[in-house]
Amino acid sequence: MAPPVGKRVKGVQVFRPFIYGTTAKPFDEKTNPKPAGVPDDHTHSWTVFVKGIDDVDIIYWLRRVQFKLHESIPNHVRMVEGEKGKPFIVQETGWGEFEITMKLYYVPESGEKPQTLYHHLRLHPYGRTEEEKEAMRVNGEGVISWVYEEQIFNEPYEAFYDVLTSGAMPNTTTTTTANDKRGGKGGKGGGGAKTKGGDKKEDGPKRSEGGVLEHSAMIPLLNRPGHPFSRETEQLEIKKLKDALVKVEDMTKKLADDLKKKEERLQQLKRQEAGEA
Amino acid sequence: MTSHDVRDVLNLPSDHSAGPRPTKKQKTGAPRPNLKGLAREVQNLGGDNPIAIVPDVSVFKKRRFASRKPAAKWELKGFKNSARSDDGALILRHWKRKTEDGAPVDREMRDGESQPAENGESTADGDVVKKEELEDSSFAKYNVQVSVPQYSEDQYRSNLQSDHWTKEETDYLLQLAKDYDLRWSIIWDRYDFQPKPSSEEGGEMADGTSTAVVQVSTITRTMEDLKARYYEVAAKMMAVQKPAQYMTRPEFELYEMMLNFNPAQERARKEFALNTMARSKDEAREEESLLLEIKRILARTERFNEERRELYNRLDYPHTETDINSFKSSTGLQQLLQNLMNVDKSKKRKSLMGPGDGSSPGGAAVSGSAVSETAPNDPRRRESIAASMPERVHGHGHRDSISGTPATPANETATPTAGANKKKGGAAQLQSERRKLTEQEEQIYGVTHHDRLGSGPTFRYEKINKLYSHKSGQQQLRITNALGELDVPARLVMPTAAVTAQFEVLWSAVTALVDLRKISDKIDAEIKIEEAKKAERDKARAAQSGSSKPDDAAKRTGDGESKGSEEEKDKEEDQDKEQRQNGDGEDKDPAEEPAVNGEGEEKEREGEDQGGLRPGSSSGGGAHKRSASVLSTTSDKSAKRQKK
Repeated sequence: MAPPVGKRVKGVQVFRPFIYGTTAKPFDEKTNPKPAGVPDDHTHSWTVFVKGIDDVDIIYWLRRVQFKLHESIPNHVRMVEGEKGKPFIVQETGWGEFEITMKLYYVPESGEKPQTLYHHLRLHPYGRTEEEKEAMRVNGEGVISWVYEEQIFNEPYEAFYDVLTSGAMPNTTTTTTANDKRGGKGGKGGGGAKTKGGDKKEDGPKRSEGGVLEHSAMIPLLNRPGHPFSRETEQLEIKKLKDALVKVEDMTKKLADDLKKKEERLQQLKRQEAGEA
Repeated sequence: MTSHDVRDVLNLPSDHSAGPRPTKKQKTGAPRPNLKGLAREVQNLGGDNPIAIVPDVSVFKKRRFASRKPAAKWELKGFKNSARSDDGALILRHWKRKTEDGAPVDREMRDGESQPAENGESTADGDVVKKEELEDSSFAKYNVQVSVPQYSEDQYRSNLQSDHWTKEETDYLLQLAKDYDLRWSIIWDRYDFQPKPSSEEGGEMADGTSTAVVQVSTITRTMEDLKARYYEVAAKMMAVQKPAQYMTRPEFELYEMMLNFNPAQERARKEFALNTMARSKDEAREEESLLLEIKRILARTERFNEERRELYNRLDYPHTETDINSFKSSTGLQQLLQNLMNVDKSKKRKSLMGPGDGSSPGGAAVSGSAVSETAPNDPRRRESIAASMPERVHGHGHRDSISGTPATPANETATPTAGANKKKGGAAQLQSERRKLTEQEEQIYGVTHHDRLGSGPTFRYEKINKLYSHKSGQQQLRITNALGELDVPARLVMPTAAVTAQFEVLWSAVTALVDLRKISDKIDAEIKIEEAKKAERDKARAAQSGSSKPDDAAKRTGDGESKGSEEEKDKEEDQDKEQRQNGDGEDKDPAEEPAVNGEGEEKEREGEDQGGLRPGSSSGGGAHKRSASVLSTTSDKSAKRQKK
């Protein structure tokens, strides 16, 4: 851990959304042929990853990720260094599900200790209902188990705060110089947009396909194939939670009424008993 | 003469060649207005720009002799001056405007005209003599006689006796005063009293006194002495002629002034004045500087006094009218101390804010120069603070640059640091930048502000994990079940801030619901028990005659029940039923049972209920023991039942 630089910025919280998870695909002669050298009992190829939302770069705050796989897998502790324009990813083949431990190491400016996340590798379709499972099976993408998470930095050190609150807006310098600087500063610029071969806007702040600014905490507005996390999803979830809340309140009310009646009945019974005794 | 000529004279290079000069002159000359009152040459001095100061309007003088009256007549008139002591012996004549009052003027005019000057003198003389009775010199009125006090022999003897002054000298003084119109300088200058010993000897006084008088008179009198004597005499005579209470106001003021004449003071005043006039330039300068010093000292004392007053205020701080009883207890004293310290702190802070007051008040009071010394010190101190700040922020490596330029102002030290190390400069900039984040930027960068934060990185979902981990395993299970019922996934899809907040609301609602359910279940169970008891009672009442197996019951309980009364046995049987009922409940609701077992609270309540049912139980300890025994009996019973 790097020695703390400067002071912590009091009362300030900065967050960065990111995604981690696994994608698994069964071996198939046509779509996913088994490569040579893979043991016979391996049934799936799978990947575990940590990446920025909408494939934006996160290496400006996340330096490396240690994936701890199942011990039966050779070289089961994998350290993945951050690389510009690439997610932190491990590709493997296997036959069984297990829990993967991911240790997140932050950039030295942060002065923060690494944090640990756990994720269950899913090879087989899962879900609460059969339909969900079936949908996952039909889906050509394979078994997806992705998790949206937000990294929260509470009271970051000043230097790190600076890193976290710059780079997205061309407010201080002109756009071109800002980009240059970003490129020069250890490759913090040039994000997923570039690797995807998508839009590369020469003027204006750099955005990913989903409209997320580099170095920002933005979340794309709309869902796109392969990018299920967006404001849309968030709103849906909030709606769901609100509906659930309404339901719960209804139930609570009903239950409270019931309870009152029951208590009355109980009192009545007790009184009867007392009268008889 | 034109501007060209002027240029020529002054050896200035002319901007025009010689050729166009005459044509130009003609050109400019023609339209120029012909100004009056100025010589053409003077006008030409203005060159191409005409002189603008020439007054345009020409005003003619008014005619002097607008009215054509006949010339005034003047005549030579004789006059006398009554101020003269020669009693009108000298007659002078002067020209006077003739008054226009009819005949005498006409006659005089005729006289003046008809007679030549030499002849007319005699007739004029006669006229003058005739008129002189009427006419006095207009300046005669300025011949004012000083009214010197007069006194008679008796008056002098009764009022004006003096050890230092003889009557003769007093007379002499008064005479001089009268002669020189109270011009004291002259009086003093001419004062030369020579006593006449002969007349004294021959007179009324004895020889001894006369010699004394002679001795006294030889004393040279100062002006103040003369004045004092004169005023004394005048005042006393005034009082003699008119008692003080009858005097008019101005009279009395004069009397007072003369009575209070203080020769010593007057002498001192004159001495001071003399000294002032006689001092040299250096002395004057010194005096001025001394005056300034005094002013400074006074100002300093003022400030010192103010500080002293503040100190006193501090010393007897609680200027309260409330009674001091509240401060008599130890807690009261503690509170008072707290108050005083708070006040002190705030005062210190306040005084630190003021730049001048930054130095200690004592230092300012000790010497005036201390104030002026601390003033230049202050910026230096501030600068050193400013210099140490970036040092602290960036770690080491800057010390040398700072110490190398100790006298540079703060902002100067800041810029080289920024220039020398861009990264560290950026860190310094950050401080100013941090405040500049706009609302939009904060949103983009995901910056939020909170009152209290535990520092360090966390994940959003951890909060929800914590919600779970704060509940017991049983509750967790129930809550997850409840959430499952509501079709809420076990893990939030997108745990953003908004979603987690919403989830927390839902969470608390669900927790409440689950708790309610638990209570409801418990009451259900109780109702069942009560109903079973009721049924049992009914049955017992129906089969009052025969008790089936009391011995068995007594054996089974194993609690060492000694008194095998009927009623007790009945009760025991009741319990038996109860337990069976409970067992039924267990079968029906397996999830409920462990919860009941797991929670002491419920146990206790149930135990108490059952204890209430068995008041005669001999195990007789606390409620806990009883409940424990009940539980043990349950297990015993079930075990025995299984054996059977």
